[in-house]
Amino acid sequence: MKYILLMSGTRAGVEGYHAWPKKDIDAHMAVLHRINQEIAESGEFVTTQGLNEPKEAKVVRGEKDGLPVTDGVFPESKEFLLGYWIVDVANAERAYAIAGRISAVSRNMPIEVRQFASYEAKSQ
Amino acid sequence: MKFILMMNTMKAGGGVPGWPKKDLQAHIGFMIGLNKELHRRGELVSAEGLSFPDQAKLVRAGKDGQPVTDGIFPESKEFLAGFWIIDVDSPQRAYEIAATVSAAPGPGGAPLNMPIEVRPVMSGPPPDML
Repeated sequence: MKYILLMSGTRAGVEGYHAWPKKDIDAHMAVLHRINQEIAESGEFVTTQGLNEPKEAKVVRGEKDGLPVTDGVFPESKEFLLGYWIVDVANAERAYAIAGRISAVSRNMPIEVRQFASYEAKSQ
Repeated sequence: MKFILMMNTMKAGGGVPGWPKKDLQAHIGFMIGLNKELHRRGELVSAEGLSFPDQAKLVRAGKDGQPVTDGIFPESKEFLAGFWIIDVDSPQRAYEIAATVSAAPGPGGAPLNMPIEVRPVMSGPPPDML
């Protein structure tokens, strides 16, 4: 069963993270690396990805002529995806356990957990 | 350059759209055709759809490190419905593809013009964070 673990935050939250002492950021990154290694060894790791900062985000809509119209102005409260993990695990509880570990090392920030809507999953 | 295109169109209170079946089929057919085209051009890294928000959980670590789950969200919360990761030559090409996705057909075949969030994907943590 494939799940995605989504880590989201506001622009202010990202700026707050950059203000952490370097050793705390180093420790945070080191534990995330260790979690990645552990779930790779258990065969549960599919992929992980971090995104560039919210200030580089654009929202695109297609105009009537199909041409892109971009907008980069967002309310302060908007939550942006910061990064995600895709895991292939035996059950939802295992996905929650991995999300809990990521949360614990990330100052208890909430991690959204969602199952993939793959055709494969539906036919099983 | 890698970008992610995010379709944040689902609301916590929503479900499967109540569109006529042929409109849903046209929408899905459009997405499958687009993915094939991006694959043919060597621009598609991955594309995934997610399950509906009624199956979403928010997880936090409790004091003992055990996961604490919550599945109650405000009706207005936007959820990721699906995403594409693409590898393209320029941000403009990423915006073009996002506009194509945005104009996917909805009820009656009219373009939805839904907003698509476009963000560069980091190839790794910043070097000074390692």
